[in-house]
Amino acid sequence: MYFQKKRCIAMLLAGGQGSRLKVLTENTAKPAVPFGGKYRIIDFPLSNCVNSGIDTVGILTQYQPLELNEYIGNGQPWGLNKSHCCAQVLPPYERNDKKSGWYKGTANAIYQNIAFIERYNPDYVVVLSGDHIYTMDYAEMVDFHARSGAACTIAVRDVPLSEASRFGILNTNPDGSIYEFEEKPAQPKSTNASMGIYVFNWPVLREFLIADEEDPNSSNDFGKNIIPNLLNAGHKLMAFTFNGYWKDVGTILSLWEANMELLGKNPEFNIRGDENTKVFARNNALPSSYIDENATTVNCFIAEGSSVYGTVRHSIISTGCIIGEDALVEDSVVMPGVVIEPGAIVRHAILGENSKVCRGAVVGGTYTADEEKKISVTGKDTVLQANTVLLPGEMM
Amino acid sequence: MHVTGIIFANDGVLRNLTEKRTMASMPFGGRYRQVDFALSNLSCAGIHRIGIVTRHSYQSLMNHVGSGEEWGLEMEEGGLEYLTPYSSSKTSDYRGKLESLSAAMSFLKFGPEDEYIIMIDSAILSNIDLTKVLASHIDSGKDITVVTKKGIANGNKIIDLALKLDSNGDILDMTVDYAAAEDYEASMDIFVLNKKWLIQQVNEHIAHNLYHMDRDLVLGMWQKGAATVNAYSFDGLAMFNESVEEYFTNSLSLINKEVRQALFGGSHPVYTKVRDRVPTYYGEDCRIENCSVADGCMLEGNAKNSILFRNVTICPDAQVENCVVMNDTVIGEGSLLQYVILDKDVVVRPGAKLIGTANNPVIVQRGDVV
Repeated sequence: MYFQKKRCIAMLLAGGQGSRLKVLTENTAKPAVPFGGKYRIIDFPLSNCVNSGIDTVGILTQYQPLELNEYIGNGQPWGLNKSHCCAQVLPPYERNDKKSGWYKGTANAIYQNIAFIERYNPDYVVVLSGDHIYTMDYAEMVDFHARSGAACTIAVRDVPLSEASRFGILNTNPDGSIYEFEEKPAQPKSTNASMGIYVFNWPVLREFLIADEEDPNSSNDFGKNIIPNLLNAGHKLMAFTFNGYWKDVGTILSLWEANMELLGKNPEFNIRGDENTKVFARNNALPSSYIDENATTVNCFIAEGSSVYGTVRHSIISTGCIIGEDALVEDSVVMPGVVIEPGAIVRHAILGENSKVCRGAVVGGTYTADEEKKISVTGKDTVLQANTVLLPGEMM
Repeated sequence: MHVTGIIFANDGVLRNLTEKRTMASMPFGGRYRQVDFALSNLSCAGIHRIGIVTRHSYQSLMNHVGSGEEWGLEMEEGGLEYLTPYSSSKTSDYRGKLESLSAAMSFLKFGPEDEYIIMIDSAILSNIDLTKVLASHIDSGKDITVVTKKGIANGNKIIDLALKLDSNGDILDMTVDYAAAEDYEASMDIFVLNKKWLIQQVNEHIAHNLYHMDRDLVLGMWQKGAATVNAYSFDGLAMFNESVEEYFTNSLSLINKEVRQALFGGSHPVYTKVRDRVPTYYGEDCRIENCSVADGCMLEGNAKNSILFRNVTICPDAQVENCVVMNDTVIGEGSLLQYVILDKDVVVRPGAKLIGTANNPVIVQRGDVV
């Protein structure tokens, strides 16, 4: 086959298990976890690519890929199914040189797909991860990278000093060039946290991936190996500051918070965006939602195909849900296809896809504003029996 | 088995609502255009070669349907074709369906002769399993199958084609453009015909200056004993949106669970163009009661017994009752709307009052500011 040269392609790391999301990722890869009523986490980096004019995206999958593969399909919802562009799912595969097999780390995942990247002979490769919620124009970052003449540019955001030790911290010179990278430092020297978004000059990245693979002591990871190696070799690395909304949704609490941050008249994350920051998602053929005459719907998102007969406050109701009469849903994330039967009470919870809360059951509890919130979670397809209780912070 | 579907896009008018669009691209039910029902009926029956016959103002239709991707019609063989009018020495604007079929003869003739043709209109909405209709047609061995619906004729409504059936389903009488009595069934404007026979009939009718499908081909041929007709009485829901009043009543009936179930939960899903809108946001002080709400709305005011399309904004203290509010319309603060059809992109100024009645809803045209 003959492929058109691309200035820039993206590689999206979507193979992580996301074990801190517990029951929500038991049978689902983290990027496929539902978000915001009708999206999945991966829709955000994928839509960012499309909105940034990047039309070739390799999606590296490994953990529980079925649902994710099915979701991405031929890339049609993102307009990536045309003859000149693609959304290519890249699972690990076996080769005859024994250098293949499961992806050993983020860098190894890209290493194993050098052949895919080479087809497009790109100048730049954007490496993304599939577990953050944000809208960003990668084109701006790529242009910044090209102008700076760096071998690699890393997107950073300012985090509170108290939280800096949870992130990979980039220490920079006044001109924005990076002189040091520290993974989760105990005594952080700056508050520039890496967002896990990299732009590389492809020839340089290629060289370092091959060298990294030769090193038996390497953990084949971008943060731990590739970036320090580039710095040690004297390459120029730049930090690209991003000030917009960005949220790592790696934990139950942060996933819940990110959903809640969509709500309000002036939400922290305005997902409505404009024509250039639209978030695309695979759509199911569902009709409009129905709000009954006895329903109360206050400060909430309700996606299509849902029917609401009870009360919903400060919550996200996803596609195809049913909220029964006299049921109460507060401060909760209700994922697609959930049924909450009449009289059930759900507070501070994440209800997994197609789970069911039967008549009169009670989930979660209430908190004052500054109290630590414990989020109750139901896994996919689970059923909480009638008149039973799922305690605050409990999972099933 | 080869089956070709033909959808007629301009069958009827709904006053100024269809001034700049076809009946097929008339918005319906929050997220849909009327043609979505015909397209979904055909494609879900495995019919993937479809022609859409248009006469005028078909820009909005083409924009909506595009290549037919959403209905699985974007394919190399078959797929979707627009049969737009073109002037030739024989035709000007079509006077009737037979003339439009004559103009589309090359589309009709394509493929093997032993095909069937299913014709369907865009003013009558249903979720019907066309494989059953086709099976009934083949079983009957007759020339034409007409899909009919009980309970539409009432002695007042003018029915395009009405059929009186005996207890075996055999046809006792037919009328065209007549206020048929209650014991007649109304044609749903869905026909199944053998392709070879249809082509022959179209040619002969046009040669004799006959162009009216219901009057000339169905009624005329049946009366002369030149064609046999099979009636397939559909027992599901059929919405006849042939007047503004019917369109309005049928739209508002979607707030009934049974109606929604019959239209959207029938034999197959109803597909439509994806718009990638965010979920609807319900504000702190909104009160939404008994409404059908599409995605992308911003609701801060009040709505009752209404159908809200995509991306509708209701500002605080506005009151919307018994209304059909189409895409991207903004309803200003403190306004009061009762029995109104608001077309797309309308702006209702703060404090405005618009009050219609159930039988005579106020219509606000596309893009108007009131």
